[in-house]
Amino acid sequence: MVSFLSRLDNIAKRLAVWLDERLGWRGVWEAIFLRKLPKVNWAYTLGSAALFVALLQMVTGILLTIYYVPTPDYAYDTVQFITHDVNAGWLIRGLHHYGASALILLSVLHMARVVIYGSYKFPREVTWLSGVFLLLVTFGFGFTGYLLPWDQKAYWATTVGTSIVGITPGIGDWLLRVLRGGQQLSEVSLARFYGVHVWFLPASLLLLMIIHMYLVIRNGISEIPHKDDQI
Amino acid sequence: MNDDNRLSRRGFLSLATFSLGGLISLIVGIPAISYIVSPARKKVEEINFIPLGAADRVTVGEPTLFRTKITQRAGWIIDERELSYYVLTENNREFVALSNICTHLGCRVRWVADEEKFFCPCHNGVFDKNGAVVSGPPPRPLDRYEVKEENGQLFVAFG
Repeated sequence: MVSFLSRLDNIAKRLAVWLDERLGWRGVWEAIFLRKLPKVNWAYTLGSAALFVALLQMVTGILLTIYYVPTPDYAYDTVQFITHDVNAGWLIRGLHHYGASALILLSVLHMARVVIYGSYKFPREVTWLSGVFLLLVTFGFGFTGYLLPWDQKAYWATTVGTSIVGITPGIGDWLLRVLRGGQQLSEVSLARFYGVHVWFLPASLLLLMIIHMYLVIRNGISEIPHKDDQI
Repeated sequence: MNDDNRLSRRGFLSLATFSLGGLISLIVGIPAISYIVSPARKKVEEINFIPLGAADRVTVGEPTLFRTKITQRAGWIIDERELSYYVLTENNREFVALSNICTHLGCRVRWVADEEKFFCPCHNGVFDKNGAVVSGPPPRPLDRYEVKEENGQLFVAFG
């Protein structure tokens, strides 16, 4: 048994070497997971926590598209179907539903940590800026996703939410019609909210996440400021 | 890394991380597979008896047309279909239902009492009282379905 395991271990090691010679994965692995860190505290894990929830949202969101249909005649029914008829549908939808709130919460806490520890300063201004856009994209996900169950709450919350845009001076009415795809909330609104939720925003999120994490790895994470630090 | 065979701090933490990650993957992954394959779990429904109507509507020896509706649901759409059967009995005890769909190309056949035959309007298919082909292009007799009677009501086997 022991010799079998050690043989298996040997094969795995040789395979790892073989792959590394061709892919250089070890360098990537070390850059991401074995990089040098200053001594920090648990508040510094909030970004990773947000990343984890974002990945979970991607997985559960992709799964939901298997049954969800974004038209007024079936949107509500398909959500009910997912919740009550599909195996573990309640779990997948529940994870996506609560994950949305968790992601906003974690992102804001992560942002607060960055402010409190002054991590947004040189040389991390661009990291901060990409984070701001990430937060905006996350809000966009929340806003568009809220309409998709197409129940009374979704319908009226989005009616109210979109009409806020309408008070923009001058172009407010036009903006409102662009957002809703017409004067009223309709099947056009639902379809475009869905399209934005599953295509536009994920594409933006992915791009921003790559930039954000590249910068985090490139610049390293900031030390906890000390009271004797020169300002 | 650990010569004395004890787990180092680094070793412990990476083991814990991978175990936790694996556990979370399983917690999401197993329900995800079940979720995806979920519709396959439903087999084609077994034979159900659907109500046709009162048994005393049927005249002995004369095929009588019954219409009924069936609702089917594959996912989130409730589909209502209208079905028609000619019910035939020779003794008011044993009943049989004949499909009114011509076996040639699916037109609806009609019972003509004077001639004691079913006629298909499309290509002149003709069937006798029991559904057997008399003349025309139909390749086989009209489909027959089991009928049962309960408390004066007729039910036809569907499935």
